[in-house]
Amino acid sequence: MTVLAMVAPAAQVAGVLLGAPLVAGVMRQVRARLEGRVGAGVAQPWRDLRKHLRKQAMTPSGTTVVFSLAPAVVAGSALLIAAIVPLVTTFSPLDRMADLFAVVGLLLIGTVALALGGLDTGTAFGGMGASRGITIAALAEPTILLSVFALSLPAGSSNLGVIVAATAHDPWTVLSVPGALAFVALLTVIVAETGRLPVDNPSTHLELTMIHEAMELEYAGPRLALMEWASAMRLTVLLALLANLFAPWGIAGAGSGAGGFLLATVLIAAKVAVLALILGGIEVFVAKLRLFRVPELLAGSFVLALLAVTTSSFFASAVG
Amino acid sequence: MNQDLYTAGMNTAAGTLLLTAVLVVWRRELRAMVMLLACQGVALAALPIVDGIAHASAEVIGVGVAILALRGVVLPAVLLRLVARRGPARRGPARWVPARRESAPVVGTSLSLLITALLTVTAFAVTRPIVRLQATVGSMAVPVSFAVILIGIQVMATRRRALSQTVGFLMLDNGITSAAFLLTSGVPLVVELGASLDVLFVTLVLGLLARQVQAHFGDSDVGRLRELRD
Amino acid sequence: MGTATSAGYGSCVTDMTALLVLPVAAPVAAAVFAAVCRNRRLNAAVAAAAALAIGACGLLLAVARGDGPALALGGLLRADALTAVMLVVIGSVGAPAAWAGIGYVDQEVAAGHTTPRRVRLYGVLVPTFLAAMATAVSAANIGVMWAAIEATTIVTAFLVGHRGGRAAVEAAWKYVVICSVGIAVALLGTVLVYFAAVHAGIPASRALDIDTLLAHATALDPAVLRVAAGLMVIGFGAKAGLVPFHTWLADAHSQAPAPVSALMSGVLLAVGFSAVLRVKPVVDLAVGGGYLRTALLVVGLATVAVAALMLLVQRDFKRMLAYSSMENLGVIAVAAAVGTPLAIAALLWQVLAHGMGKTVLFLSAGQIQSAHGSSAIAAVRGVLARSRLVGASFAVGIAVVVAVPPFAIFGSVIAVGRSMTEVGLGWLLAVQGTLMVVAFAALASRTVGILLGEPEPSAPAIMTPRSISLALVIGIAACLALGLSAGPLAGLFRDAGLMLAGVR
Repeated sequence: MTVLAMVAPAAQVAGVLLGAPLVAGVMRQVRARLEGRVGAGVAQPWRDLRKHLRKQAMTPSGTTVVFSLAPAVVAGSALLIAAIVPLVTTFSPLDRMADLFAVVGLLLIGTVALALGGLDTGTAFGGMGASRGITIAALAEPTILLSVFALSLPAGSSNLGVIVAATAHDPWTVLSVPGALAFVALLTVIVAETGRLPVDNPSTHLELTMIHEAMELEYAGPRLALMEWASAMRLTVLLALLANLFAPWGIAGAGSGAGGFLLATVLIAAKVAVLALILGGIEVFVAKLRLFRVPELLAGSFVLALLAVTTSSFFASAVG
Repeated sequence: MNQDLYTAGMNTAAGTLLLTAVLVVWRRELRAMVMLLACQGVALAALPIVDGIAHASAEVIGVGVAILALRGVVLPAVLLRLVARRGPARRGPARWVPARRESAPVVGTSLSLLITALLTVTAFAVTRPIVRLQATVGSMAVPVSFAVILIGIQVMATRRRALSQTVGFLMLDNGITSAAFLLTSGVPLVVELGASLDVLFVTLVLGLLARQVQAHFGDSDVGRLRELRD
Repeated sequence: MGTATSAGYGSCVTDMTALLVLPVAAPVAAAVFAAVCRNRRLNAAVAAAAALAIGACGLLLAVARGDGPALALGGLLRADALTAVMLVVIGSVGAPAAWAGIGYVDQEVAAGHTTPRRVRLYGVLVPTFLAAMATAVSAANIGVMWAAIEATTIVTAFLVGHRGGRAAVEAAWKYVVICSVGIAVALLGTVLVYFAAVHAGIPASRALDIDTLLAHATALDPAVLRVAAGLMVIGFGAKAGLVPFHTWLADAHSQAPAPVSALMSGVLLAVGFSAVLRVKPVVDLAVGGGYLRTALLVVGLATVAVAALMLLVQRDFKRMLAYSSMENLGVIAVAAAVGTPLAIAALLWQVLAHGMGKTVLFLSAGQIQSAHGSSAIAAVRGVLARSRLVGASFAVGIAVVVAVPPFAIFGSVIAVGRSMTEVGLGWLLAVQGTLMVVAFAALASRTVGILLGEPEPSAPAIMTPRSISLALVIGIAACLALGLSAGPLAGLFRDAGLMLAGVR
């Protein structure tokens, strides 16, 4: 275990912490440019965060400790995922924790905390948003589980580090029937999970369509900043994970030196940036789905994930 | 060609075949369905092209290019005309505007997708003896072909627009062609030629009949064909 | 390939080529002629002549047949006893049906139901249809046979929809969709046979040849062939009107022009079933006889059952005839399942007799329908009193298809029944017999209603064009003749039975 490997989780956390608002900024900027606007610049989310952080913390009357703690739990779960999943290296000391089921569980903790925070205010919007958010999560989380599970079958382990290392060792294995199905399923579900178009529109406060925004409607000041930051981090971590599951080129292994780590860090940042560019570009062209069509979309991605698992286990058994 | 690259190419093509089939079940816009069918045609053509490049066989590549032309371009174009054309403009009393979306589905999207999943699992179960007999890169993907065949039949059974049923039929046929290719690198030329011509003609016939249905019934919803019954 | 059969080819190749090529070439020439020539009566006569040529070639093949199959055109065409029988069937149904086309088109033109373009299309499509069927039964390659059978679907699509109008378009749509799916399933089966053959070391270029497959049948993988045979029974069964893809049959038969209905019911169904008979020996050798027997028994009995039940509730006489065809094909499938030489010879006899009976039936039903403008059973009374010929034809046709003695199907059903008890399927015979009695009762009671009784004073007269009268008279005579004796065809049926039962 090298010192570098010990540093890796810290680097991942720091990178996600600092980079997440920029990812959100990139997506907004791409969108603005494609729509013919100048845009506020990539760093605008950072400026927003600074503004919110300077404000006074407000606690609506009648709310409990759940309301106050929710942002911290959401942000904490996102950071914990950032620390344990293999982003820069497959060989970190926390790698043992990076089990598929643990990661999905952490994601769910964040989602539930967000919904509880929305519910705790007792307003109509909070409750509505929470109900919608949980409906989506109930379909989205199993899909993430299944699609990563499909990729884990060839590797023979549910540890994300092992899966990514196996793919890095033999990059062609993801180009397969289960790989193609799992990729589409995972992409769809990440979009849903992080509240992007066409499932939810992050830039609107229209009451009938809100999901994520409805849950954090009562938040203001530093807590709102934390909420926004956390949701950007979730997006960033999931995109990075997607990138590494399917294109783990350049990820640092056991024997990589400082240069390898540096390269891996730059590469993962670049991959996430590219994904953000693509997603931001796509968002210009799609309209938000009507709410009752969203379960159809998610059911579709769930079926794709299920098929990915089926085909994957078929191939695993046919080869073995 | 590198063996890994060959395997990856074949697998990606097979994966795309299945993926487009599932997406056709998912989507209800007719134009989107035709586009997905075109994508499936391209994926189907990729199988012989990759195989031909790997084995340096110009003949197989030629078959692939022919499939690409027929399934990726010609047949989708025939169907697109049905979506795009504004009725028989020159003659005939009925001036119909083609439907753009699938009408109220017989089976809801979520349930259809569930059925698709079940059919795919069935396909994998049924094809065990084939894969057991010959475990090559190609025949490993045969279950995918069978799944596409079953999904094609499902689309024909659960969709009500004439065009969607035609798309289902062509998916069924894409599945069979891919099975033929994956198992045996293609059936003899005379059979392949006959089959392709037949598919082309059936598509043209279905297109013509779809227009007649539209002209006589005022809609391309074949669920309205209820005159004949016992 | 066995040396004995190879020697057989050698002796036959030279003199058989003309007999093999002509059944395909004659109707093609007739179709080309119809595309060029504008005299529609002449066109119909040429098509009938082409059909006669097909039948004559079948008879000559039956007489000049050697021990083994005859090959022509570099092994593309192949003739054996089954081919000869099927060519005779095509000819004997095709000639009167094509000839009756003269009268049918005259009536349509007179009634203003059709356009010159449609008339020409009809003239071209009927011989093309004959050509496709002749190709299907004389193909040496299962793949070519498949393509020819699929071609019949394409050609007949427009014939089914020929009368135009909502009902005809609906029937055509359902027909094309259902048959295309069915036949696509059969293609999948063909592909699997090819796969099994290539895997057994047969060179790819010959892997679908019937003779090659027969010679190497025991080397084919049984598991794969089982899947393939199941798919082919379902797929080709769709064209034969067997369950589960039978739903097109009543719609198409009731909407198609009468001569086309006769061709479809009398020949097309049989051609579809002959494809099953073609692959049966190969499958039996590869996976054992029990598999296909079970499959055909299930499919055949289900078909008879569905047909009998539908006959009970039938209110339309053309649909009634369609379900009677289904019943007959179901009985034929059961006979194929029994699979003894006697049963197969009997089923081929039934195919021929049923074809001729249905020709007479559909042509006379067409006249009744065009007189009344409707095909509802309730609307028709006292046909016999208004037209002796049409009434007598209908009566004879029904008597043929419900297996009344002395007509041929009676004898064939008895022979199949005997074979069933021989192979220990007596209890199934009881089931089938019950269903056939139900069908008989339903058909007979409705026929009596249509034919007998006092016609209402307002009932329209039934006019019969001379061409259709001639076709009817010839058809009745042929039905009677075949019932009395199979004549020179008896030996042919026996040989075909021995061949397809795998005895030889």
